[in-house]
Amino acid sequence: MAPFYKYGFFGDEMSLVLAFVLGTGFGFFLERAGFGSARKLAAQFYLYDMSVFKVMFTAIVTALLGVTYLGWIGWLDLSLVYLVPTHLVPQVVGGLVLGVGFVIGGYCPGTSVASLATGRIDGLVYAFGIGAGTLVYAEVYPAIKDFVNSNDMGQVTLPEVFDLPWGLVVFAVVVIAVAGFSAATFIERRIGDRS
Amino acid sequence: MSSDHRPAATPGSGRPASPYWNPYLAGIGLGLVLLAAFVLVGRGLGASGAFSSTVAWLVNMVAPAHAQSNEYLQGYLGDGTTHPLKAWLVFEVLGVMAGALFSGLLAGRARIAVEKGPRVSTAVRLLCAFAGGILMAFGAHLARGCTSGQALTGGALLNVGSWAFMLMVFVGGYAVAWFMRWQWR
Amino acid sequence: MKLPALTLNQKLACLALALGVLALFSVPHRGPVVTLDTRELALIVEKEVDHVTPSELAGWIVQGRSDYRLVDLRAESDYAAYHIPTAENVTVAALPEFPFLRTEKIVLYSDGGIHAAQAWMLMQAQGYRAVYTVLGGLEGWKDEVLYPALPAQAPAADRARFERAAALSRFFGGEPRAEGGAVAAAPMALPKLAAPAPSGAASAVAPRKKKKEGC
Repeated sequence: MAPFYKYGFFGDEMSLVLAFVLGTGFGFFLERAGFGSARKLAAQFYLYDMSVFKVMFTAIVTALLGVTYLGWIGWLDLSLVYLVPTHLVPQVVGGLVLGVGFVIGGYCPGTSVASLATGRIDGLVYAFGIGAGTLVYAEVYPAIKDFVNSNDMGQVTLPEVFDLPWGLVVFAVVVIAVAGFSAATFIERRIGDRS
Repeated sequence: MSSDHRPAATPGSGRPASPYWNPYLAGIGLGLVLLAAFVLVGRGLGASGAFSSTVAWLVNMVAPAHAQSNEYLQGYLGDGTTHPLKAWLVFEVLGVMAGALFSGLLAGRARIAVEKGPRVSTAVRLLCAFAGGILMAFGAHLARGCTSGQALTGGALLNVGSWAFMLMVFVGGYAVAWFMRWQWR
Repeated sequence: MKLPALTLNQKLACLALALGVLALFSVPHRGPVVTLDTRELALIVEKEVDHVTPSELAGWIVQGRSDYRLVDLRAESDYAAYHIPTAENVTVAALPEFPFLRTEKIVLYSDGGIHAAQAWMLMQAQGYRAVYTVLGGLEGWKDEVLYPALPAQAPAADRARFERAAALSRFFGGEPRAEGGAVAAAPMALPKLAAPAPSGAASAVAPRKKKKEGC
């Protein structure tokens, strides 16, 4: 019964080995998609290369359909897959800040690691920036602690919050994603032709 | 006309760099890795947490009293029974490096370089990269994750906070894009 | 009639939409309805491997073992009046939803043992494999650990065993009864809850993970 680790099929040491192996797959596909390059990543925000949107949402839809089906046939215990608790306002603010940082810096933490691994100096510098930012964050944390922990909604999913069946939300996500991909390709062609 | 530019090759490789993969195929690959993480370990992928663990470990080496009294860093140091670097995300991020390098070498895309637009100097680009990293750290820690941990992982689990976060990342990015266009175009 | 050739991307889109439509009917979360393997459960019950005696439990507590979770299934007021040291209060109604780890040992007890046995069945049905009941429940704890009795004409071997039990009993705030005649007809009062928590046993209920599991 999955998740295997939570059912005691293997211990912490093996879990760390798997972390590395899974990370390898993660890094491989990130680089395959071209996300080791800041220019390709930033292009998303200039509308002439919507790969970030396409890759991200394809990955989400794939994994979402996967957990849905595996849970449905009873092979995966979805309640044992860790869900990060929602703190709505801090996460909204965090998202905005992250988006700004993305366009200024050209990466996100995961892609910066992929980038520096393939030799990009800007990726390396970016990673140091994250380290420095983390230090500063740790220092100011006591002052902003209350804000950071505000709006605790616990572990909630979209179906729960909108009181809809899980399957319906999955279907909606798939439809929106496919429609989004068509629109993205259309936009790419229009902007690409113009530039 | 394909929208993705041909990547530049690894110097000395003797062949042009391979073009990037079809984004949907790369996305499916990524999604399957994520699914494997859910099935095997009961958690998703991530990246920002590894940075926090590393910083906590470094500060602990240099100024242990300070690290252990700092509430944020202490969370990543734990109760002292395990080494802070013996964290799931640290191992995962090491894997990301290995996988990315492997893919880059395979495709002839691995090279020491600075990714930047044609109008900006290397120095300015690196400064922006550093600044972007600092901002990213704040964003990621406020949101309890970055695009890998929150958007991908949380997105695939229909987590409310993750979807809100993901939306705002795009909003934030597009809002600032016009002002940063000198760096990329 | 020839169908138009679909590009790879279009085929992927069709596949996604088909899977999405099918997913409309999905119910991925386990609900309260479970399936029981009656043969397997009957065997476990017969072999009696799912019991823990009160003395054994007392030994674990004294040793300060933290590899198990002791669960008191009674009402909150009963729990507050007295509970076996290191026990947590989870009523039977709250049991199915309670977030136990799948890999931890869970030891259940109630007043006599009936609720514990029923709760044991519930947990087994949900797939928890390391579930045990305290033999005799709280009554058994009282008789065996708190107020062990020694009949007047007991042989030497029994006396030795009684001495050990007596030490354990005093540790938990009970009273060993050496005279055979004092086998009380009236129920013995339970000691006040000032029973000392042996060092380390408190960590049985301590936070499981100290490091964050997020991203």
